Amino acid sequence: MTAGDFENKNSARWAEYEALVRSVELGKPMPGVENLPQRFRELCLDLSLAQARMYGTRISEKLNALVIRGYNLIYRQKTGGWQAVVRMAAVTFPQTVRREWRLFWLCSAVFWIPFFALLIAAKHDLTWIQSILGSRGMADMEQMYGSESGQIAHLRSAYGSNFMMFCFYINNNVGIDFQIFAGGMAAGVGTVFFLLFNGIHIGASAGYANAACDPKAFWSFVVSHSSLELIGMIIAGMAGMRVGLSILWPGRLPRVRALVEASKHALPLIYGAAVMTALAAVVEGFWSALPIPSAWKYGFGATLWVLHVVYFLLAGRQARDAA
Amino acid sequence: MESPLAKLDTLQAVELAEGVEIRLRIAGPVLRANAYAIDLLIRLGIVIVTGICLSFAGLALGERVADGLMLLIWFFLGWWYPVLFEAGKRGATPGKRSVGLRVVQPSGAPITLGQAIIRNFLRFIDGMPAITYGFGLVSCLATKRFQRLGDLAAGTLVVYDRLPQEPSVAAPPPMSSVRPPVALTADEVRSLGMFRDRAGLWSEARRCEIADHAAVLSGARGKAGVSRLMAMAHWLQEKRDS
Repeated sequence: MTAGDFENKNSARWAEYEALVRSVELGKPMPGVENLPQRFRELCLDLSLAQARMYGTRISEKLNALVIRGYNLIYRQKTGGWQAVVRMAAVTFPQTVRREWRLFWLCSAVFWIPFFALLIAAKHDLTWIQSILGSRGMADMEQMYGSESGQIAHLRSAYGSNFMMFCFYINNNVGIDFQIFAGGMAAGVGTVFFLLFNGIHIGASAGYANAACDPKAFWSFVVSHSSLELIGMIIAGMAGMRVGLSILWPGRLPRVRALVEASKHALPLIYGAAVMTALAAVVEGFWSALPIPSAWKYGFGATLWVLHVVYFLLAGRQARDAA
Repeated sequence: MESPLAKLDTLQAVELAEGVEIRLRIAGPVLRANAYAIDLLIRLGIVIVTGICLSFAGLALGERVADGLMLLIWFFLGWWYPVLFEAGKRGATPGKRSVGLRVVQPSGAPITLGQAIIRNFLRFIDGMPAITYGFGLVSCLATKRFQRLGDLAAGTLVVYDRLPQEPSVAAPPPMSSVRPPVALTADEVRSLGMFRDRAGLWSEARRCEIADHAAVLSGARGKAGVSRLMAMAHWLQEKRDS
């Protein structure tokens, strides 16, 4: 059989297949679409024949393109919908955090050690903190947490400013989480840098608020969202370090393969970190600055910290291991 | 079967579960940069248009609400715009689609949401130093399949979605049909076929120059060599039975 005969014999079938594929691609499946998988396999056979019999580039390329289009439709992955989301939150995410407990302590140390070092340093000597924050930073801190009572609530009194701050925190803080993760690609250096930077900056701010502003104004504002935001950031750091360490120590896999596996394992951490930080933005935007007694805020914040410990220790224990 | 990786080629052969081998054509950095530039312009357009709309809506909603919405739009355009498009049905951002590209797994299958997230969030590192995309470019040039760092981590490729039709100009018709003097390998047969398909695009001198490389096979140089190669291609493609 020559190439021409082959094409004449089968072109009607190819045209039918292409019409089916186009209709599905456009989202309007035509009648007879249930035959698509069968037509697809027939076309695969035609392509193999065309290649084996060397019917020429033109026919092969045409069939190749048709097969790829069908393959993309038939092997499209459906996401699991709400069930998958619930499972991620209730099982996969806490299980992954527990499995990566070494990374959790590593990233926690990278963040909390500079944080507490600066917090304690502030009691003895402010020069370090002054050079970290700079005059702008110190002025901002005093504007927000200065000695007048209810200063934050006053700053938020304009209509819509709670919503604006919520959006600001989403853009800024969730974006920082993603950057912390991406920094892992530089063999973890970027992740460590961002975690250290945040530990130093947040520690310096807290130390300065303690020493030079109204500590109550500061702590009652940050206590409510601190658990969500800081643990979320540390978990983003875990995702980054998982990727970074796979580059440094790929183990028995080739480096690129190890990187792909590590990225897959880091995904639940990224999802979790993003959701936690987004929730932190909700709290920080709409609750933390409310003019209510500080005792409520301290109670709320403490409850959230306890709930975090419970969630990460216990959630998903009974369920079978996430893949 | 020939090993496709041994050759300097952007064709990537992949065997499917159906037992057939498809060929993906990997896209290079220049075309991808074009797609990125188009996406950047689209996003810039969205920011300008929504900015203007929100500045009017701000009169009704309140200025700060409008500012907040702008920040949210900024966040989604920056981080999620490529993710949602590439995880979607077409597997490409509007920019990629406009230049005919698509993001796929190495098997040719569409990518998952997780892969789209990884490859686009790591863009932050690819874009370094200072959003010049230097790291991404070096990674593209250093890998066989033009993968930037995000592609390596997510296990994705950027390929031509639909191959542009090659211009075909009818080659001079073969005067005769000649059986090749030796048995040819699949690659050699394919090369002869392509020589014939493309001969119409070249000048006479260029045809002779290329045909001279196969002088051992044709046993002649210059115009005689060309017509002999054409005759063999003709025999291989059509007149095999005679």
